[in-house]
Amino acid sequence: MSKKLKIELFLLDNLIWVLVAIFFLFNAVVTPNFATARNIINILYHSSIMSMLVLGEGLILIIGNLDLSLESILAFAPGITMLLAVKWLPGVFGPVSCIFITLLVGALIGLFNGILISRVQVNPFLQTLSMLIMLRGLVLFMVPFSIFPLPETYAYLGQGWVFDRIPAAILAVFVIYIGFHFVLQYTTFGRKYMATGGNPKASFVSGINTSRMIIIAFVLSGLLAAVAGLLAAGRQGSVNNSMGTGMVMLAFAGAILGGASLEGGKGTPVGMLGGAILLGMISNSLTLLGVQATLVYATQGALIFLAIIIDRLRIYIRSRLLHQEQLRKLALEQGKGDSF
Amino acid sequence: MEMPSWSGSPGIEEERAAKMGVKMNAAKWVEHEPLQVVQPRGEAALQLKNITKIYPGTVALQKVNLEVMQGEVHGIIGKNGAGKSTLVGIISGMVAPSSGEMVIKGRNLAHLSRLDAKREKIAIVPQEPQVISDFTVAENLFLGDYPRRGPCVDWPEMFRRAEGILRRAGLNINVRAKGEDLSISEQQLLLLAKACYVEQAEIIILDEVSASLSHDDEDIFFTLLGEQKRMGKTIILISHRTDDILRVCDRVTVIRDGRSIKTIPCEGLDRQQLSALIVGDDVGGAQRIIAGSPRSKAEGEVVLKVEGFTRAGCFENIRFVLNKGEIIGLAGLRGSGRTELLKSIAGIESRDAGTLEIAGRRCTVASPSQALERGIVYLPEDREKEGLIAGLSVRENLVLNSLSQISKVSLIDRKMEDSLVSKLIEAFGIVTATPEQEAGQLSGGNKQKVVVGRISAFGPLVYLLDEPTRGIDIAAKDSILRNIRDRLAAQAGVVITSPGLDDLLLVCDRILVLFKGRIVAEFERAEFNEGRIFMAMQGELGNQIK
Repeated sequence: MSKKLKIELFLLDNLIWVLVAIFFLFNAVVTPNFATARNIINILYHSSIMSMLVLGEGLILIIGNLDLSLESILAFAPGITMLLAVKWLPGVFGPVSCIFITLLVGALIGLFNGILISRVQVNPFLQTLSMLIMLRGLVLFMVPFSIFPLPETYAYLGQGWVFDRIPAAILAVFVIYIGFHFVLQYTTFGRKYMATGGNPKASFVSGINTSRMIIIAFVLSGLLAAVAGLLAAGRQGSVNNSMGTGMVMLAFAGAILGGASLEGGKGTPVGMLGGAILLGMISNSLTLLGVQATLVYATQGALIFLAIIIDRLRIYIRSRLLHQEQLRKLALEQGKGDSF
Repeated sequence: MEMPSWSGSPGIEEERAAKMGVKMNAAKWVEHEPLQVVQPRGEAALQLKNITKIYPGTVALQKVNLEVMQGEVHGIIGKNGAGKSTLVGIISGMVAPSSGEMVIKGRNLAHLSRLDAKREKIAIVPQEPQVISDFTVAENLFLGDYPRRGPCVDWPEMFRRAEGILRRAGLNINVRAKGEDLSISEQQLLLLAKACYVEQAEIIILDEVSASLSHDDEDIFFTLLGEQKRMGKTIILISHRTDDILRVCDRVTVIRDGRSIKTIPCEGLDRQQLSALIVGDDVGGAQRIIAGSPRSKAEGEVVLKVEGFTRAGCFENIRFVLNKGEIIGLAGLRGSGRTELLKSIAGIESRDAGTLEIAGRRCTVASPSQALERGIVYLPEDREKEGLIAGLSVRENLVLNSLSQISKVSLIDRKMEDSLVSKLIEAFGIVTATPEQEAGQLSGGNKQKVVVGRISAFGPLVYLLDEPTRGIDIAAKDSILRNIRDRLAAQAGVVITSPGLDDLLLVCDRILVLFKGRIVAEFERAEFNEGRIFMAMQGELGNQIK
């Protein structure tokens, strides 16, 4: 394989980051105040909540399922925790245990989803749709007001700073993404996970415990939604009942921009991070350009559409490049005479 | 030369009456009496000129020429993977050729669309019958063109006409039964009846139809074909069974390695001559496999003992012993229970009774992952659906079963992985641009090499290979069989099935014949005889079991 082909393939496989770079350079020229250190940190900080949902949704898409309930878990997990700490059992739980309870709640909801979907064979769309509505309804019922103030430690992830320069949220996002990337790419678990998503039937036949993989996927996504909840609660210093509303669709968009596919088996966390950042940059630049807030949503949708078309093009180009390489190899092989 | 001017078939009512022996319109029936001459009538109904079809990585057809005369029964025969299915796809309008042209009734076409095919009255009865399982037989028969009264479906009329057609076709099927209640064999005949009497096709393509027919249905099938032939229809019969071809065809075209080798009249042709044409000089190459690896009747070391395996309706009281280094072939027609048996040994499907001993230890195997732990690995019959993970790279596919070998504390060591992958690619001769290529983009043969490579890398005790040579080209087949013989069987015991007997005769030490879920005969290598094994597969030879 030639060096040129290798570079071409590398760029194609990381197309989302090429898009991020192009979008960044374009805006650096066109949009005032875009390419400043402050604005970059601002973009990353504001994408942090969405990044967690994108990763959660991406992990579920990789395994070949979908999860609509993430945005409700985002509100439900911190909501129930704060009710517990403030109203039901005041004084029992410290802020650190509250963080753990929040994560636990998210993971348990994911576990419930996963068990029903993989063992009882409930359709993932219907299962998570019911959770989306039910959890949101419970939040609206139980948290009719904002709960505030939050303990400082609990809010640290959302509003704290590391070295007085970098928001803790950004650091957390990067650490989590890199961790997941590593696990999926370099561990045996990751390989089995990707295989299950790519072809669950074949993976089952080849000896992978596929239903366990699916349950783990939902637990992880519930966990990530709870982290997103921590970030959201920390940022606004309170828990309210409308947190996360409408975010799950953009989470799908971000994950798909980042290389995930609705058919499963595709995508990497690093790509999804690119997808989440691209989403954040789009809304940031539109705001800076003074586009009407009402129009931002539609423009975001249009740009996502464009990016998905580019992604189809990428898949086409990639398979053509490899096809040509294969033909070349076949010709070489035949030149050598009988290969057996 | 003009075709006698008898077109189409008589009205359904008349057909029904005729079948029942009532002469409604005597003149018409007398008129078609002389057509019983079976000679082709000189004019080409369908011509293919230099048709080539290239798929990514493989050339499926290469400059194929075919000429089918009006009113003849034309056979197309070739081994598995010779290119028959691609050819069928092209003449039925489902696959577009890469180059070449087609002439249908004198009209030149670069390629044929499904709509063209319909207009030209070309009908196909596919290998896998497509019957809608929730619809009644009558609905399936008239699908797309129901008898109507005003805007509504005229149900009584539909059932009446369906009954007439089935009776005429000689099928004893209730028109009100659901599609799912029919056996595969009945479904095939139903679709044939539809092509003949509902669509009134002039060119009927039968794709490996006889392969899935039951014994009784086969007679109905050939009677029906004979009648269609008398009516002047053109029939193209695709098969890999020489008997079928010689029984009904006027002429036969032999396809080998994607080329049309020869078209010859069937009269005076016998099975041996035809087989020689089909196989070509490939025989030598195939026999090399055996010659190169002297059989070592494994001394004593039993790797798998299957005892009393039973599942109601699938297989019954199956018992055999597999030694290390031995290759056992499971021969049996479709529906004989071979896939179900292998799947239940591998823990993929359940069983009602039976015990398993692996390397002398009695154990339970309740899931594929447990089977893997115990050293049993299964190669699925359906490569695309159950074997390959198409979206992952060749590398990721190859190591999927041997992750523990290339990892430390569940961290994958890329160096060990890369060396294992390149070793496998070399050993199995996988043609791929790079190990990073998506496995789904490889050709059929290379996909299969990837799956076989994957399971072999794991180094199990027992290989259960379900149709490892299905749908791949000859070179790939040769290479896979050789690897099974030299590599897989060197360290383990192998059970293998195949759609044809050829492969089994080549590599097996022993062949067990399954018929309707029972082992009815057993042949040692020394007593291999294609004819006798074939008869046993049809259930005509029994009591060979000691």
